[in-house]
Amino acid sequence: MSLTTVWILTQKELRDALRNRWFLLYAAAFAVLALAFSYLALAGAGMVGFAGFGRTAASLINLVLLIVPLMALTVGAQSLAGEWERGTLAYLLAQPVHRYEIFLGKYLGLALSLLAALALGFGISGLVMAIGGAGATDPGQYLQLTWLAFLLSLAMLSVGFLVSSLTRRASVAVGIGLFLWLIFVFLGDLGMMGTSMALRVPIANLFIMSLTNPLQVFKMAAILDIRATLDILGPAGIYAVQRYGAALLGIFLAVLALWIVIPALLAYLRLATRGDW
Amino acid sequence: MPRPLLLAILLLTLLASVTAAQSAPFDLAAALAAAQPGDTIVVPPGVYAGPVVVDVPGLTLEGQEGAVIDGGGLGDVVTITAPDVILRGLTIRHSGKSLDQEHAGITGKAPRLLIENNQLEDVLFGIYLKEAPDSVLRSNRVTGMDLPISRRGDGVRIWQSPGALVEGNYVYDTRDVVMWFASDAVLRGNVIENGRYGLHFMFSDNQTVEENILRSNSVGAYLMYSRGLTMTNNLLLDNYGPSGYGVALKDVDDVHAVGNRIVNNRVGIYVDNSPREGDAFVIFEDNLTAYNEIGIEMLPSVSRNVYTNNIFQENREQVAIAGGGELRGNDWARAGWGNYWSDYAGFDADGDLVGDLPYRSTSLYENLMEKYPNLRLFQLSPATDALDLAARAFPLFQPRAKMADEFPLMTPPEPAAVPGVPEPPLLINLAAALGMLALAGVVLFLGIRRPGASRRNP
Repeated sequence: MSLTTVWILTQKELRDALRNRWFLLYAAAFAVLALAFSYLALAGAGMVGFAGFGRTAASLINLVLLIVPLMALTVGAQSLAGEWERGTLAYLLAQPVHRYEIFLGKYLGLALSLLAALALGFGISGLVMAIGGAGATDPGQYLQLTWLAFLLSLAMLSVGFLVSSLTRRASVAVGIGLFLWLIFVFLGDLGMMGTSMALRVPIANLFIMSLTNPLQVFKMAAILDIRATLDILGPAGIYAVQRYGAALLGIFLAVLALWIVIPALLAYLRLATRGDW
Repeated sequence: MPRPLLLAILLLTLLASVTAAQSAPFDLAAALAAAQPGDTIVVPPGVYAGPVVVDVPGLTLEGQEGAVIDGGGLGDVVTITAPDVILRGLTIRHSGKSLDQEHAGITGKAPRLLIENNQLEDVLFGIYLKEAPDSVLRSNRVTGMDLPISRRGDGVRIWQSPGALVEGNYVYDTRDVVMWFASDAVLRGNVIENGRYGLHFMFSDNQTVEENILRSNSVGAYLMYSRGLTMTNNLLLDNYGPSGYGVALKDVDDVHAVGNRIVNNRVGIYVDNSPREGDAFVIFEDNLTAYNEIGIEMLPSVSRNVYTNNIFQENREQVAIAGGGELRGNDWARAGWGNYWSDYAGFDADGDLVGDLPYRSTSLYENLMEKYPNLRLFQLSPATDALDLAARAFPLFQPRAKMADEFPLMTPPEPAAVPGVPEPPLLINLAAALGMLALAGVVLFLGIRRPGASRRNP
């Protein structure tokens, strides 16, 4: 494998991302909303003399859950199918490069652009909070939050890649991506809530069930990072902390890692074996 | 005699006398045995073995810097059995560990004791007053044992001792600071951290609680089965855990809480069956309740509570009712003046600083959560916001309001100044934020820069 080739493809992908209006729109929306939340935090801090970082962090988690999957799924879904549609993928494949180099380059490029978008949003928001005296008492927590959001974006990017590798048209891929976003963000949780109410699911099973949604896993990991407990998640959260203790964060990270690796691997296998590409 | 020899002898005798003075140590037990009422014993630096019993009325036992009484891990360390004793400036450490024998650093069993400026370390119970009315505990520092909370003793326990003054103490890593059958006490300016209940009142009437800092306990102040309590300008911060409350009231009458700051607890204010009596009251005014998971949680049966001029700022859930339902018979305003709710969405057309529409606490998701506590697992999930949005769009699903403040305030009142709030570190936060922006900049730069190796079409 030639690292130079991968790096060149990575850079190409970065530049493509900067030209992608959807990506820019989502990145800007994320930054602006993060900024708005930190301003709200400042208003509260100025009024009551307290830095409500925990509360702001909760708003940021909420924001990440809404926007980051949208951003990552969209760019992921456009990646392979879009290039195929434009014919550039055929051009690339005709060059003396391996398919895994192409895949790796594209994935790295998009991952880096997502990292940049997250760093920008969290950076601006953190700057405003730091200057206004409403920052975290432990800045490590803030960095961890950013890092976890990045992991979530990678998981969603992988899913987007998988969708992209299974379709031929970018519009179809993006449509499927949006539908998946709806499932991850709304329908999945609503379904679990309904199931829990209708069937009186025991908390142990409810917790395991919630682990299937990478968004929930990110959320729980982020709360664990900021609060050191899951008390605010009620009985199921308290159960999880008592049952799994220090291993809990490891479990969350492992689930996120699976969501990153498996769809990406499947997408690559599809790309590597697809005859019409 | 040659002069050097003379000098040597002189030096030797001097040395001998000094070592003799050092080797005849201060005998604490003998001094105590010989003491007369009203005497003062100054304890020089050194480590003295406990247990020590002070049984001379009016005795003052005063430690110099470095005077340590070590219990050796067996039983009580210092026990006071005579009235009017003053215990000051001692370091007392290493008591026994038996919860049923209640091993303590200082046990006071006589009236009018003054215990001040002592340092208690590695003790099961810190200061334990048993039938010691009108005693004063001032500026002591109590550090408990590193044990699971169920095996710890109380930092301060006041038992059957009315009229206590507990002032300026620092209590860390113990179970409770607890008043049992101890009426007319004043607790002022104490800092209590990392315990179970910061302050705990059982069957203790007419308490005054002022300017204490109760931080990172399971419950900041838990008041039970008492009548008459004034809580003024306390700070209740970071009290978390499965049953974490800032202030919790259970079967308490005549509570007047003014100017407290109740911030970042699991539940800010918890009210269970208080007041009990028909003519009793619970009044919360000018308090700040901010950034708690739940601002105020009540049992459905609670009534005759009055809330006025409080700030309810950005609590995840402003008002909760344990088990669901709606609250009746409480006043969320007094004389046309309600509270400030940060999520109030009304307006003030007539400019009287009071919103023209009532503040109603209604949320479908909160309502479901109160009925099915397991659903708390989905806190912060956008799906829960979607539920509330749907309930607003289709009022068929909208649950009844939990409570209504008919006179919500448009702007928050100025909260009382309470010391002891931690400041976030500015420089590290700035560095972290700038670091992230730099990271974004580097990635952008890589994207914009034209790679030298590639010669593709522009």
